[in-house]
Amino acid sequence: MIGAQPGMIGAQPGMSEPLLVLDNVAKNYGAIEALKGISFSIGKGEVVALLGDNGAGKSTLVKIIAGGLEPTSGRMLFEGKEFLARSPAEAKAAGIETVYQDLSLCTNVDVVANFFMGREITRKVLGVPVLDERAMELVVQKALASAGTRIPSLRTNVEHLSGGQRQAIELNRFVHFGGKLVLLDEPFAALGVEQTRRGLDMIRQVASQGIGVVIITHIMQQAFQVADRIVVIRQGVVAGDVARNKTSPDAVINMITGETLAGAGPAG
Amino acid sequence: MNPRTRQVLEFVLDNLVWFMLVFVLVIFSIFVPNYFQLGIFANIIEASSVLGVMSIGLALVIIAGHMDLSVESVAALSAMAVGILFCSSGIGLGIQLRPEWLMVPVSLLIAVLVGGIIGASNGFLVVRLKMSAFIITLASYIWVRGLVLVISGGRSAQDLAPAIRWFGIQRLLGLPLTAWIAIACFVVFSLIMARTPFGRHLVMIGGNETATFRAGIRVNRNLVIAFILAGAIAGLAGWLLAIRTSGATANLGVGLLFNAFAAVVIGGVSLKGGVGTLPGVYAGVLLLSAINTAINLMGLPANFTQVIHGLLVLAAVLLDAFKQTIRQRLA
Repeated sequence: MIGAQPGMIGAQPGMSEPLLVLDNVAKNYGAIEALKGISFSIGKGEVVALLGDNGAGKSTLVKIIAGGLEPTSGRMLFEGKEFLARSPAEAKAAGIETVYQDLSLCTNVDVVANFFMGREITRKVLGVPVLDERAMELVVQKALASAGTRIPSLRTNVEHLSGGQRQAIELNRFVHFGGKLVLLDEPFAALGVEQTRRGLDMIRQVASQGIGVVIITHIMQQAFQVADRIVVIRQGVVAGDVARNKTSPDAVINMITGETLAGAGPAG
Repeated sequence: MNPRTRQVLEFVLDNLVWFMLVFVLVIFSIFVPNYFQLGIFANIIEASSVLGVMSIGLALVIIAGHMDLSVESVAALSAMAVGILFCSSGIGLGIQLRPEWLMVPVSLLIAVLVGGIIGASNGFLVVRLKMSAFIITLASYIWVRGLVLVISGGRSAQDLAPAIRWFGIQRLLGLPLTAWIAIACFVVFSLIMARTPFGRHLVMIGGNETATFRAGIRVNRNLVIAFILAGAIAGLAGWLLAIRTSGATANLGVGLLFNAFAAVVIGGVSLKGGVGTLPGVYAGVLLLSAINTAINLMGLPANFTQVIHGLLVLAAVLLDAFKQTIRQRLA
């Protein structure tokens, strides 16, 4: 199926209710066309792997979705409504967030402080807002337990936690505060095999709660392990948009390098 | 390692400077004649009040990941402002207010306001122009001290109004009120840093400014407030200094900045930001003061203090690195 036809948006058979729809989104830097018109959609509870070679336009696309970069033309629909985020804060308020490795945690404070960063629970003592540590700890305990994440002590500083545990905090925080669509940029770049496996489980778990997940990755194997759908960007256009179980790594590599035309899965 | 030993070890590491303080006090009490007296201990606390208050402001800004070199000069300017207005000889104007006690809040307000304004200008320049706090506050350190020289003409003000002096003379439980003010400042700001969202945010900004910004914390606003607080607290230190010396001279407080830095670093605050607590800083201040007192009692030339302070700072930095390795093992 070719996603680059505007008429097809959101009409793909067998897809869950669309969360975010990109309709012919383009971005020019002067005469250079970074994105020439990208159209695809992400469903609720769907995991989409965004693949593409360096310079294909993945990062540009992520910045347009998560705020910080405005498209030159085209439009986006988020939960059925026209959507444009002028800043990451705006995107976040709408429920869209990018999780970058090590860019969203303060390693010098504990798990609870990181979980509530900027949204602390307070109670008034003599009119002064005071941190309600007990209440916050309980919330974190519950959130992590329900997600099946185990961290020995919520009072240890994050600098002492593993990469996988850090990612768990970020994702659980995102889910807890009403996130709807999360973009993960190379989420497993710095993780070991076992941690990566747990991370992939966690992503499935997050998606099962109806949250849309976009994973930007270079590693084909991970994309096939976790994604429902694989979208390939090449030279600023969607070179392929296929269900994972209807394609193969070889076919996807061909889409990335441009040896076959868009959407061509293995014959049969 | 079982969790119990781990907890004990963590506690010791977190409060290492307090253990050092106790250790040093015990050693001095044993080996320095006449050291073990309540009066000596009271003197240690009393002598550290100005430095202590100044260190609070400096620590706030450093914990938030920045730097304020201007605190010493700001304290001097505030002291000079109070001195010129409320001293009766030298360059003092000898302004009298009725009732007399009114001079206390008025002088205090002026001192804090002078500091706060300079702090605000520091903060604004650092945040708006995105320039290094080191350079901006180095400039303030120089021009504010220059301003002190200009308004005083290099001369001094003496005989501070008795109503204000009263804070330096009146004692409560063996300590002058000025010392209690310093202690109260430490208690209040320790609570602010540990228990309020503002304090928590400053620590997190010092740890990872990008993350706090992305989390929607108003980083710039918090930083400007931190600089204003540092200035205002330095102003308060200046007020205490004026009381202590019953006036102000043009070179009042020269060298305090380096002692404040020493206290802050010894107290466990990392110059990289995000690490350190105010109780630790207070222990650092008391430690310096305890050593000064020992040097005085032993009759060593005062010049030794500088050498020892320098070595102490070195020791503190080495200790910090050592603590890091232990923590890594613990994790």
